Amino acid sequence: MPDTEWPRYEVFKQDRPNRPHEAVGTVHAPDPEMALLNARDVFVRRPACHSLWVAPQDQVLTMTALEMELNPAWAEETVPEDAPVRTFHVFTRQHQRRTMVAATHVGQIQARTHREALRKALEQGEFTDRPVYLWMIVPADAITGSREEDVESLFRPAEEKHYRDQSYYSGRVFDKKALKRREREVA
Amino acid sequence: MTGQLDAQLQQALADRLLALADDEVILGHRDAEWTGHAPILEEDIAIANLAQDEIGHALIWYQLREDLTGRDPDETVYFRDASAYRNVQMVELPKGDWAFTMLRQYLFDVYERLLLDRLVASTHAPLAEAAAKIRREEIYHYRHTSTWVERLALGTEESHRRMQDGLDRLWPFAAQLFVAGPGDGALAAAGIFPDLSELQQAWEATVRPFLEQAELTIPQAEPLTVGRERHTHWLPILLGEMQVVARVETPETAW
Repeated sequence: MPDTEWPRYEVFKQDRPNRPHEAVGTVHAPDPEMALLNARDVFVRRPACHSLWVAPQDQVLTMTALEMELNPAWAEETVPEDAPVRTFHVFTRQHQRRTMVAATHVGQIQARTHREALRKALEQGEFTDRPVYLWMIVPADAITGSREEDVESLFRPAEEKHYRDQSYYSGRVFDKKALKRREREVA
Repeated sequence: MTGQLDAQLQQALADRLLALADDEVILGHRDAEWTGHAPILEEDIAIANLAQDEIGHALIWYQLREDLTGRDPDETVYFRDASAYRNVQMVELPKGDWAFTMLRQYLFDVYERLLLDRLVASTHAPLAEAAAKIRREEIYHYRHTSTWVERLALGTEESHRRMQDGLDRLWPFAAQLFVAGPGDGALAAAGIFPDLSELQQAWEATVRPFLEQAELTIPQAEPLTVGRERHTHWLPILLGEMQVVARVETPETAW
């Protein structure tokens, strides 16, 4: 059966203006604009957000430290001399805690290919003060981002909404005593 | 004029708020019927968000009406029969396919967005404040649904056909959004609520070129111009489902 699934987009979310973008997951979408809208609905229903980026997953190089170690040939490639130099955004994961964030934006690199960007990142050592467990290399020209004027309509309303964990509703919600008890706890 | 309204204006405003709220709560309910059934997971989440937003907007309008009339929003929604509802027929029609749902939402979103653009300048301060709050979400709804309408209309042969079928069915109903009630003239004269015929012109000036650009044909059908007290048989069926839990539970049930 043919694969009728829409392509995947990586989603990068910036919580506040002076915070880095973080890789929070993926959405399916037929095109970048719908990917951006889907990202908003899936990842920004409640928490704060200032900016969203989406990029087609097939244009993002994702590599773990283990993959690089097991396959040292990852770095080998023939780069055409006349290939244009582009800007690549570099995301890394430098811890092994369980979090919702896969990788965090740490900077940019000028390079001709994804792998060249990653080689340079390793050589420069700028992003490797601590061990890096995961790299994500995203070409700037593959990113579709929300704009400053989108903040009011895309993200601001979510901040004013109540967010309750599932556990808030646990127990006997029909039991008035339980409800009173919960109200006291909240107060 | 931000202070007290005279009794006649107060009644007219209460009636208009009921129309606004009923449109949103019924449309929100129809959208919510997609929960778990939307074409893809991302859209399932999106339509549930959208439904929740519309029901949230309804609550804001019901509360403004409560300030004028003392009528409790829950009572208003769950213990009124179809004949007392003042929504337009367009929002009570069954959810249909995804093209129908997106097109209905688009036609309504353009109306609501243009309405809110005007309501933020209402001489009645509580209305202006509510409009400013709701408007931000509506800008997003409009972006979402217009994106879908455009893509389906210009997509495959089948998606285009479904979108055209939806437009053929919905277009006559949309005109009912602009049918004035008995008190609407006085509200417009007092700058409380916009003039509906001007709103209709603005709406047509937006949707017509958009739909034509999406290669859809606007049907030449007789517009629906009956008052909001008239409903299709779909409304009592919808209300039966929407109200059943509230009506079978005792009033003391805590949620």
